[in-house]
Amino acid sequence: MARIAIIGAGFAGHTAALYLGDKLGKGHEVTVINRLEQFSYVPSWVWVGVGRMPLAKTQFALRPVYRKFGIRFIVGRATEIHPDERYVAVEPADGNPADARVDYDYLVVATGPKLDFAGTPGLGPDGGFTESICTGPHAEHARDRYLAEVDRLKQGEKRRFVVGTGHPGATCQGAAFEYITNLHKDLVRRGLRDQVDLLWLSNERAVGDFGVRGVHIKRGGKIVSSAEFIGAAFKEYGIRHQVRTGVSEVTADAIHWEDYDGASGETPYDFAMLIPRFLGQPLKVVDREGNDASGEVLAPNGLVKVDARYGLPYEELIRTPEAWPERYQNPRYPEIFAAGIAFAPPGPVSEPHVNPNGMSITAAAPRTGMVSGIIGRVVALNIVDLVKRGKMTHGERMTEMYAACIASMGDSLWDGSAATIMIYPVVPDFRRYPNEEGRDLFVTHMEMGLAGAWMKRMLHTTFIHKLKGGIGWRFIPE
Amino acid sequence: MEITPRDRFWMNFKLFQLVRFTVLNLKILKGVNASKRS
Repeated sequence: MARIAIIGAGFAGHTAALYLGDKLGKGHEVTVINRLEQFSYVPSWVWVGVGRMPLAKTQFALRPVYRKFGIRFIVGRATEIHPDERYVAVEPADGNPADARVDYDYLVVATGPKLDFAGTPGLGPDGGFTESICTGPHAEHARDRYLAEVDRLKQGEKRRFVVGTGHPGATCQGAAFEYITNLHKDLVRRGLRDQVDLLWLSNERAVGDFGVRGVHIKRGGKIVSSAEFIGAAFKEYGIRHQVRTGVSEVTADAIHWEDYDGASGETPYDFAMLIPRFLGQPLKVVDREGNDASGEVLAPNGLVKVDARYGLPYEELIRTPEAWPERYQNPRYPEIFAAGIAFAPPGPVSEPHVNPNGMSITAAAPRTGMVSGIIGRVVALNIVDLVKRGKMTHGERMTEMYAACIASMGDSLWDGSAATIMIYPVVPDFRRYPNEEGRDLFVTHMEMGLAGAWMKRMLHTTFIHKLKGGIGWRFIPE
Repeated sequence: MEITPRDRFWMNFKLFQLVRFTVLNLKILKGVNASKRS
């Protein structure tokens, strides 16, 4: 009997759990450790944050799903990994001592990010000044603050809302883009848009970079970039933008930043939603002698080292597609896998920049829900291979991966919109695609319109159905 | 690049967007199947 432990039940961990439970059956033990009782469909928190969807509609209880798949479920916090003795130390939420140690033959670390609000003084709703849509309670807090702003607007006040990235190394610009465009649509709906100065403030090299070096498509015989595409959307929505900016601090009335040239400035604001930097969760790794062995498993940012080639300078990294991991397996402890945001990428996808003051203003590589789900599936199927056949047969680098991303720009099914972006591969491969973009320009695609809004809403319903293990769940792509 | 009145029309013309909805779903399914490794 094989024992598989999974830390985290987000897109990557929960997807891995479903495939493992489905393919291994009751003869093996799959255990999921998660801090919360429920799965959260994070992409819809944009709508929670503008008050267009209640949080409860984005969540479902995990225990019944895991019961159906024969998976043991522990609600609690994983605190330590003991890779030599192959167990995870857990603080169970109910204090049950039987759940304090989970032994494993294979471990999947799928913790998602630690939201590093502390990395920028004054950032975040807990003790800071800005809002976030990165957790359920944060999205509800953002909603309440936004609605308080709406009340002030109704009194005739003029306000400035700033949305973007709150750290020079942040990622997840896509979610922030969805939030600022949904704010715009909601304000238009309320007849208050003229009273708000909406500003996009980000660490991207150009608008539409999204941490993936931008997207380029062939349209009418010429190449159109996401910079032009998103720039046109911002112009249409009357959203000002300031990129190449690293936020260094937030105070009660201003956002302090430096730019690519080393100039510093402050932007006054009334309401701000800024995404923090993502680090690895604070898991300790302890060897047989009780010593800290984090360096064997974790990169300095706390993310798990995998079968990637680390330390390459950017110019070499973008020409080396095999630097990106294929199996998401830790080289020192091959029974440890990392899936989703938890794995340490070999570097950024977007071009880095260090300003004259030494600030690195570089959009980090995103691992969207789809990419996280794909990696969760690959890891699960490889573990199944190892259990049943002793040999892995699955692999998919991000330089081989297709991803579709639908960025809501207004949730209404009547007059809403979304940017539908299909990107292949996610990380450019200049060897296979020797064009300026390193991508397949026949497959890579971008468009904007009401169809995207329908798709975004459909994804919400379809993915929640899939992730509950509903009928046909295997046939719905990650 | 600008969003023109013509663009705005097509982006919200329901029948056309229904066709785009179908096409986009098919494109995604095709892309997913093409990139899956066995």
